[in-house]
Amino acid sequence: MSRLAAENVVTGYGKQEIVHGVSLSAEAGQITCIFGPNGCGKSTLLKAIAGALPVWGGSARLDDTVLSNLPVHEVVRQGLVLMPQGGGVFPRLTVMENLRMGGYAIADKRLVESRIEALIEQYPSLARRRRTAAGALSGGEQAMLSLARALVSEPRFILLDEPSAGLSPAMVIETLERITTLTEQGIGILMVEQNIREAMPIADRLYILAAGEKRFEGSPGDVRDDRQIMDIYMGGA
Amino acid sequence: MDLFLQTLLNGLLIGGVIATFTIAFQLTFGVLHVIDFAVGGWVVLGGYLGYYVTALLGLDGFVAIPLAFVLFGALGYLIGPVLYNVRNSRTARPELMALALTFGLFTLLRGGMLTAWGFNTRNVTSMLSGESLAVGPVIVPLIRVAAAVFAVAIAGGLFLFLYRTRYGLAIRATAENRHNAALMGVNIRRLSANVYGLYAGITAMAGVLMGAIYSVNPEVGLRYTLFAFFVAVLAGLGSVGGAVVAALMLGVIEAFVSTYVGSSYSLLAIFATLFVVLLASPKGILRRGL
Repeated sequence: MSRLAAENVVTGYGKQEIVHGVSLSAEAGQITCIFGPNGCGKSTLLKAIAGALPVWGGSARLDDTVLSNLPVHEVVRQGLVLMPQGGGVFPRLTVMENLRMGGYAIADKRLVESRIEALIEQYPSLARRRRTAAGALSGGEQAMLSLARALVSEPRFILLDEPSAGLSPAMVIETLERITTLTEQGIGILMVEQNIREAMPIADRLYILAAGEKRFEGSPGDVRDDRQIMDIYMGGA
Repeated sequence: MDLFLQTLLNGLLIGGVIATFTIAFQLTFGVLHVIDFAVGGWVVLGGYLGYYVTALLGLDGFVAIPLAFVLFGALGYLIGPVLYNVRNSRTARPELMALALTFGLFTLLRGGMLTAWGFNTRNVTSMLSGESLAVGPVIVPLIRVAAAVFAVAIAGGLFLFLYRTRYGLAIRATAENRHNAALMGVNIRRLSANVYGLYAGITAMAGVLMGAIYSVNPEVGLRYTLFAFFVAVLAGLGSVGGAVVAALMLGVIEAFVSTYVGSSYSLLAIFATLFVVLLASPKGILRRGL
């Protein structure tokens, strides 16, 4: 079983330290959620683990590989994909071109094409619009494209930065359902989410961050028992 | 009427050559986020190479086209990482530092060429020089037709590369959003160096063609830099499709003003056009700029 771990990660933007030494771990086949108020450093931590931001102190590792020493474009080759907030599709590229970019790290072009064909069948709304520019898709379709694109590289872990942001309530449910089915294939999910009400029921493990520090870790059951944490961070949800 | 058709055709032929290097200029802006002031320097270098291929080796000037790509492409490839490092440095205003760097490169190229070759104006000659083609009432110098054919071939090759290969796809993705492209596994630093090399090579090839149509001396580089800026602004910075349209417009405007008004007014006319277009459509003619 794969395990993704951050140990005392310190990071930030420019000279501004935002995350002050946070440790967490995520297991393959499970959904691990990071909650916390706006500006607490959730997204920053996620980007640092994925190599998109430099790690100033501590380390992030996937099993025995230290990710924090790798340039960002190598991280996907280790089996870890970050889905940035808003999905990060390339709006002027077509649906198919976006999916091919998802397999860019794989040398075998035919393997990529066959994976895309297998994947796209599970996403009917994309299959109908292969040659459409991604920017012309609806927000929900873009979210599906982003998720399908992340899967082309057959990652061991997917890091999601607020997958529900900007989606309609129905799309939030569909997206989270799809994420749940991914764990059944053994993929580990580490996600930052504001929509605690929807995300909490699918989480296996969760962390709460505030002001760049870890305030809580445990199972959803543990957090429900903790009145103080519930009142302060979860709005009584 | 004959003169009108003749001028129109000339303008389109020249516009086609301008399009080749402005497409590459746009691509470089998209990937590196640098407006390369040195673009005219690369054009002139290509023109000189075309001249020396005949003067020193006795070969047809057009033989210089592949040579220009290899030679100046390699030089661009070496300069690319420097430009990337400056553009992505942590100094204040890295975009201005990068612009200053390309301005310095332009000055260096111009000064170097003046020292090495002086003010003498040179031509790229070919066995086609002096021949002409009669299309009904219109007479076109064969060398211009050949230059335009080469230009279409170069631009076509570039489009095939961008739209039919994985690396071309990675370049287009990076031009849209390089942070997300990096997450997909694209080595942005290496790709930037490759794109700058590709651009320098293509621009120098266009320089060979320009040298065949007009002539070159170290001072004309600024004119081509202004052309590239004109096309970039008219098309919308970064827009590749718009660059083709804008370059053809530029060629036609230049030809008409030179024929009917006087060539000293051509830059004035070009920038007056730019002013009017920007008033009407600030994002460029195809409204796809940044």
